[in-house]
Amino acid sequence: MAKHETPLLDQLESGPWPSFVTDLKRQAETKPECWDILGQLELSYEERITHWKHGGIVGVFGYGGGIVGRYSDLPKRFPGVEHFHTIRVAQPASKYYSTKNLRQLMDLWEKYGSGMTNFHGSTGDIILLGTRTENLEPFFWDLTHDMGQDLGGSGSNLRTPANCIGQSRCEWACYDTEAVCHAMTLKYQDEIHRPAFPYKFKFKFSGCPNDCVAAIARSDIAVIGTWKDQIRIDQAAVKEYIAGNYPSNGGAHSGRDWGKFDIEKEVVALCPTQCMWMEGGELKIDDTECTRCMHCINVMPRALRPGADTGATICVGAKAPILDGAQFATLIIPFMKMSADNEFEELVEFIEKIWDWWMEIGKNRERVGETMQRLGLPAFLKVMEVEPIPQHVKEPRSNPYVFWSDEEVPGGFERDVVEFRARHAA
Amino acid sequence: MALSKDELKAAILEKAEKSPKPQLYIKDFYACDPETKPRDIKNVANDLVKEGKMMFWSSGSTTMYALKHRIKNEEGSEGI
Repeated sequence: MAKHETPLLDQLESGPWPSFVTDLKRQAETKPECWDILGQLELSYEERITHWKHGGIVGVFGYGGGIVGRYSDLPKRFPGVEHFHTIRVAQPASKYYSTKNLRQLMDLWEKYGSGMTNFHGSTGDIILLGTRTENLEPFFWDLTHDMGQDLGGSGSNLRTPANCIGQSRCEWACYDTEAVCHAMTLKYQDEIHRPAFPYKFKFKFSGCPNDCVAAIARSDIAVIGTWKDQIRIDQAAVKEYIAGNYPSNGGAHSGRDWGKFDIEKEVVALCPTQCMWMEGGELKIDDTECTRCMHCINVMPRALRPGADTGATICVGAKAPILDGAQFATLIIPFMKMSADNEFEELVEFIEKIWDWWMEIGKNRERVGETMQRLGLPAFLKVMEVEPIPQHVKEPRSNPYVFWSDEEVPGGFERDVVEFRARHAA
Repeated sequence: MALSKDELKAAILEKAEKSPKPQLYIKDFYACDPETKPRDIKNVANDLVKEGKMMFWSSGSTTMYALKHRIKNEEGSEGI
């Protein structure tokens, strides 16, 4: 029996899609606080204002992240959501779960929370929605001691590192994303659980430029697999695609008749740098012009593969739109070898150099990409001790002035004014 | 010369006590000792939380530090 009238929310159940309203009503049969979620949300729809207050001193002892405080601003009217804190649980690498693990987690959440979940948050965490302050420590104890899992990051912490499925299932992965993600997660436990920075900081690890974890759009440091040598071509397989014996895109678009596969139209003409052509029945690629868009490889996966000399491109400074609009990450290091043999030493050095600079220079609530934008890419490259390359240049210069730094000028900018005035009277 | 760890802890607590705002960003504590690296100041501030002398206050996207007696939680407060 519904506790609140919800005519506006009920409309959302009438469409052809699954509705969270139906889910909440079903959940309310065993978790009555879900009626108050519906009641409060209905009121927000009517009044066009949120009734959630967020933030606070809730958390588990010693951790500065992983719990996001939520309170209703109408606790007497909606007592079930007086406290409705969110818990972020770190996802396993590549989001591989066993059903046993998921059942355990759901049992735990039925015991201590509302049962409402969000798989997954944009950082990748398992989001558990709605619990009371007094349930936080018991939940944390069971999660860590019985299940061996941990909370994820929130606040001004390093957020839970995320990676694609990498070499565990994908032949295009140019480095072992799971190994890097695991190593960085263990190395930076303190930064994940306790605030360290002016604002949030995210790593994401994608094995190839298809970037299945959207590292380039969402993470402060995007580590995206790439290769140095040539795309590997199997010319016999190219002929099979042309003959129509292999389905393009691995058959992903086979639900409709697109006509006969046309390599000129569907591959060669769509190359963004026009670095491909057909010659004597063979596909040719000028790899020096390839920008790793992955289109040709995606269309003909049995004929084309990434090169064999693999590593990662490092981009810095992506963020979702809060202050200054959405921002993609900027390429900083075109190629870095990823080796577990040296515990990813080069990457660690790069990460910590950014942190040391940003912690000092970054303003409160400023993402590292915004700090870069404020001070300019040349200043950032200098701090990172990276020599500028053509790929760092967005467009031809429009500013006619040349700026020299002190150390670039013989003798620096310091002048003996007395000596100068002896030669040039004022 | 940089402050010792105990001196830095005392300076951070004093700053948290005297600041007009009850919650402070980690950067607000950098001025306690300009000669200490930000990461070391962060470690000392987090030690004070472990010792129960300070608390984290989190909005979800940002985390700040506060002395327990200077902040109140949202629990039980009726808003509009």
